[in-house]
Formats: sequence, structure tokens, C-alpha cells
Amino acid sequence: MGNVFVIAEHRQGLLRDISLEMLTVASQVTQQNGGDVVAVLLGSGVDSLADKLAGYSDKVLYVDDPLFADFNAEKYQRVLVELIKQNNPELVMIGHTTQGVDIAPALAVEMKIPFVTDVIQIEFADGKLQPVRQYYQGKVNANFAFKGESPYLITLREATLEVPEPSKKGAIEKIDSPLKEDIEYRRFIEYVEAEVGDVDITQSEILVAVGRGIREEKNMPMIEELAKAINADICGSRAATDAGWLDHDRQVGTSGKTVKPKLYIAIGISGAFQHLAGMKGSKTIVAINKDPDAPIFSVADFAIIDDLFKVVPKLTEKLKELKG
Amino acid sequence: MNTDLNTEMQSFIQKYDLLGCIQCGRCTGGCPVTVRTNLNVRRIVYDSRNEEVLEELAKLPEIWDCTACNTCAVRCPKGLKPVEVLIGLRNILVEEGSVEPTVRDALESIFREGNPWNKSRATRCDWMEGLDVRIVEPGEKVENLIFVCCTIAYDPKVQGIAKNLVKILNKAGVDYGFIGESESCCASEAHNMGEEGLFEMAIEDNTELLNSYEAKRLVAISPHCYAAFKNQYPDLKAEVIHYTHLLKELLEEKKITITKECAEKVIFHDPCFLGKQNNVFDEPRYILKQVGGAELVEFDRKRERSLCCEGGGGKMWVEGSATKAERLAETRVKDAREREATVLAVACPFCVLTLDDALKARGFEEEMRVAEILEFIGPLVE
Repeated sequence: MGNVFVIAEHRQGLLRDISLEMLTVASQVTQQNGGDVVAVLLGSGVDSLADKLAGYSDKVLYVDDPLFADFNAEKYQRVLVELIKQNNPELVMIGHTTQGVDIAPALAVEMKIPFVTDVIQIEFADGKLQPVRQYYQGKVNANFAFKGESPYLITLREATLEVPEPSKKGAIEKIDSPLKEDIEYRRFIEYVEAEVGDVDITQSEILVAVGRGIREEKNMPMIEELAKAINADICGSRAATDAGWLDHDRQVGTSGKTVKPKLYIAIGISGAFQHLAGMKGSKTIVAINKDPDAPIFSVADFAIIDDLFKVVPKLTEKLKELKG
Repeated sequence: MNTDLNTEMQSFIQKYDLLGCIQCGRCTGGCPVTVRTNLNVRRIVYDSRNEEVLEELAKLPEIWDCTACNTCAVRCPKGLKPVEVLIGLRNILVEEGSVEPTVRDALESIFREGNPWNKSRATRCDWMEGLDVRIVEPGEKVENLIFVCCTIAYDPKVQGIAKNLVKILNKAGVDYGFIGESESCCASEAHNMGEEGLFEMAIEDNTELLNSYEAKRLVAISPHCYAAFKNQYPDLKAEVIHYTHLLKELLEEKKITITKECAEKVIFHDPCFLGKQNNVFDEPRYILKQVGGAELVEFDRKRERSLCCEGGGGKMWVEGSATKAERLAETRVKDAREREATVLAVACPFCVLTLDDALKARGFEEEMRVAEILEFIGPLVE
């Protein structure tokens, strides 16, 4: 197959994870089916980023121009249209991110190229690329086929795979910017840093949740130790936040936050209906409670029916052992 | 010009009669949440007279601290409804789509499934399993059409309220029936969270549904549904009553008797939507007084002055900005303990949830329990 263009994403001088994730997927596809992985980087003062991308690609094409000091989808589009026309890749990959979805649809329309969004992986069958998307909240995968001639365009979902160590040494080619003048009607104004607040529990992958079952604040260190052992953040029921053991922004439930971590460990939470509504979407739920009738067990994947003061220290110890 | 015909163009000032306000401050003086938040309802009513700053006012976080208890409206000497001004400001946020995701989800769930708890309509009657109940069909005649309430239907912690009502009504041989799966949220809380459009739609749909039965009376179990049907649904055919009205009647007519004695000290917490909003004060007390062996004691803040538990006004779905002092529900359970009550009786599912949490937070589980009247007397009726 032909080459794969990966449009690198970066912000505040750092490459976003999605850039390397896309290169990893592109390498898997080209390894089996031929073609080169070409990282495309637009920026200003980005030599070091180009070097890093080279570790994951066969070639890096980059524009280093003050016009690209800040992200502007309009400018990206102008340049990408030129680069795609000149190089005619088979596939163009853009991140399914706020930046990516700002560029990709307009690019597809302007170039009249087939476009599949929010792709999780790419398969190759019958000599054709088949992007895979998800349906029904991830319960069903669907393979797509592109109609018509390449180039094809996809946006790739973030954080679907592990990025390996760099294993390539791509050639780095700095090119002149096809964009000669700034555009006026769409300008970058300012970069607003998200408030450096406390942990945002809605973004946590692992949560250890406490309820009134832990009885007193002085038992919190036991919970903190468990959380530390598995890199989890701590949240709690309304009872736990009301008691002052946790800040109110760590409250899970209908009047707090709705969380969907990969793992939710509920400790000493009986599971009021209002709490369950905020966490039942978690991928795996482990509940520790001595009351076998606690409603939390109705949503738990794993139930530990025992005294949490016996279970938690042992669990922490075992997890430390496994990790160590 | 007849302004009544021009409601579409009614300004914020006209809608809430803001120029009628004399800034006496009785609203703020009686507002129960002022001990916990910066909410100053008099100030907001004053500032709302400048319609150019409404959007700015709507962004004040304390707008969400109001529990819609109605104390301000009860105390207003001019008969205004300051609470509705706050709800009007929430409406601006709803229209802009800038409400908390938890509020958005609750509203969307009312729209899609007819309940604010993100539960499937198909499971609305699961609580009835194993019970001898009648579901009435539209067109059927029934003396008492019972409206269950979403929270009672879905939250296992308060489903016992409806189950005990079934037990009592079956014992009394009353002609009654339930609506079944087609029962939809009264949307009182949608209104309180500022979703005016959804509330109007609910009024229309529910009125059509409820009027399709040949029902003499519509009996609401929750005071929130009761208050909405009674005061905000203008076209219902059936007489709207609360279950405490029906229960008092059954006791008076000796259709049921509370046979078992119960040596408890019972204190009754007046729910805002039942008491100060609808003047139903005596019925719950009458019922509780029929319990042999029990002693009924009173809070200092009772009847019209009852302290809100902070369960209404959308507070089940949004915390608001209140961080100062303890929750009012905690104050309430502490007061109940001071009176040495062993049963904190209520007549509202939201009060059960907030007060029971507070009771646990205060560690009073050994000394006292929170019980909805139906759950309290259900086991005592033989």
C-alpha cells in the first residue's frame, strides 16, 4: 500500500500522546502491507519534536514557521491540502481530539476524500484498509471500507493502545511553508490553562471510594495507602464528604459527580441509590462491605463480604507484593 | 392594552411582579439556607429589576442553594413569590444549556423515561412484585387513583412507603388503583431546576393521562407531586389529595385501626411541600396520635416554621455552593435528639433520604430512626 501521513499534534511545546499513538497504529499497518509512515509536523521552533517523531516514523516532514506558533485549524487545512496533493499518501491520520476534529471534516470536504471518524484501529483485508469503529457504547465493533480512490482520511481515538519504545530512525525533512501569509478572519487569541485544582475524579482510571463504613477520619491513611499502591484517586459517598474526610468535589452520586473509571473499589459504602447512579457505569466494580445485603453488591462485579478493616490492609499488602 | 393576552412578551419584571416588592427583607430573614450560603433572595429580587443584569445574576452559584421550600413566599407581605424569581434565573441557565451535568441528566431522563433517576420506564412497577395491586386502565372508574412518585417507585430505600400503603389500603377495602408503567414524573423538580418547557409539556401530557381515568380523587404519595398537581396543574378533573388525607379518613371511619402498640417517642417533621406550601399540618399528626403507646412531641420549628431538610429545589441533583455550617438536615436530627425522640417521622420521600443521611452522619443510628409515616404505621396495622 501507499504511504501513511500522520498529522502530529502538539501543544505548549510538547507532543500530545495521540501523535505517537497514531504513529504506532500506522507502523502496524505499514509493517504488514508496505508503505512508509510519514509524520507531518507544523509548528514554530519544533526541531526537538521532529527528532522525537523520527523515532516512530520512516520520514518526518516538517514546517517550522512563526505562522504556526499557535494552533489554527484554518492554517493547518491550507498546508495539509498542499502536502497531500504533492505527496499523495494512501491514508491520512488525524487525532480524534478537539484539535483534530477542528481540522479533519473541513479537510475532507475541501479535498472530497472519504473520511471515517473516531476510529479505534485499522485492519487490512482483501487488499483494502478497513477502519474499525465502535457502536453501542463499545459493545459492537464495525469494520468500514472506503469508497473511491485514495487518499483516505481517518481520525483516531485517543488512548486506545500502549506506545512502545522508539524503534525507527526516520529521515527528517524540513520544508518551506506552503502558507505565505497569515490569515485574518480566524486568529489565535490566548491559551487558557485549566485551573490547577484538585484531582478531577471524572478523569481517573482507578478510584478508591470510601463511605461511612470507615467510621472515622483517622482511618483515611489506610485508604490512602491502598490508593497509592495502585495509583488510584480517592473519592467518596456524600456521607464521607459531609463528614469532612474528603472535599466536596470528590463526591460521587446524583448530586456530585458521575464517574466511569476502569476500576472502582467501594469501601464501606452501602450504596444508596443516589450513589449507585453516579458510579454504576464503572467498568469493574469491587465492593467491600460486611453487610451482605448492602445495595452496592447489586452493581458489583466482585464482592468482598467482610470487615473492611481486615480486608483493606491485606489487599494493600498483596497489591504491593504483586507490583513489587 | 390587555396584558393578559400578551404573555409571550411578558418581561421578567412583569412575570414576577418585581416592582411590587417593597424590599422589606422578610424573605431573606426567613430563608433557611442563609445560615449555609451567601444566598440573599431580597437582594436578588432587587437586582432582577434591572433586566440587563439577569444573565449575570443567573451565574451566581448561590442560585442553586435555594431548596424551593417556599418560606419566602409564605412570609412575603405583598404576596410575591421570590422563590420563583430564583427559578426564573435558573431557567436562563437551562435555556443556555449551562447547568451541571447531573441536572442535565436528570432533566433528560424525565424527558426520555418519565423519571429523573435515569431508570427505564419498563421497571417503574418492579416494586409491586408479589403485591396484590390493581392497575387501572384509561376509561376505568376508580375512587382513588394513586400517584406513586418516581423516587418512591425506583429508590429501594423508600419503596417501602408505597408497599405499606398497598397493605393498608387492601386492609381497608378501599377502591383504589395504580397507573402502572405509563405514570410519568409530575416534573415538579424540573420546574424547580428551571426547565420551564419540560414542565409545561409534563403538565399537558400528565393532564391528558390523568383525565383519561374516571377517577374521583388523585392521591399523591409524595408531597412534591401533591403540591404540583394541586397548585400547578389547572385542568385536572379529579380532586387532588395527599395520602395523609385518605389515611385520616380511613382511621376516622374505622376502616383501619392501628392495633399494635409502640412505645416510641415520635417527632414529626413537616415537609415543606406538604406543610407550609399546602397547609397540611393536622392530618399527619392525627395519624401519628392514633398509635397506642407512642408519644408525639414537637420541634420548636414546626408547622409553617418547619426547618427545610434541603431535599427539594433540585438539590437531589446539585450540591450548590453551600459549604458553610452543617446541613439543615443535620440540624434537624440534632433537634430531634434533643427532644429525645426515637422516631423521626416524615411524610415525604426526599425528607427520608436527607434526614436518614444526616442521622447516619451524626451517628444517631442507635438512638433514633427516620420513618415515613406509612412505614411507621404499616407494621402496626393488623
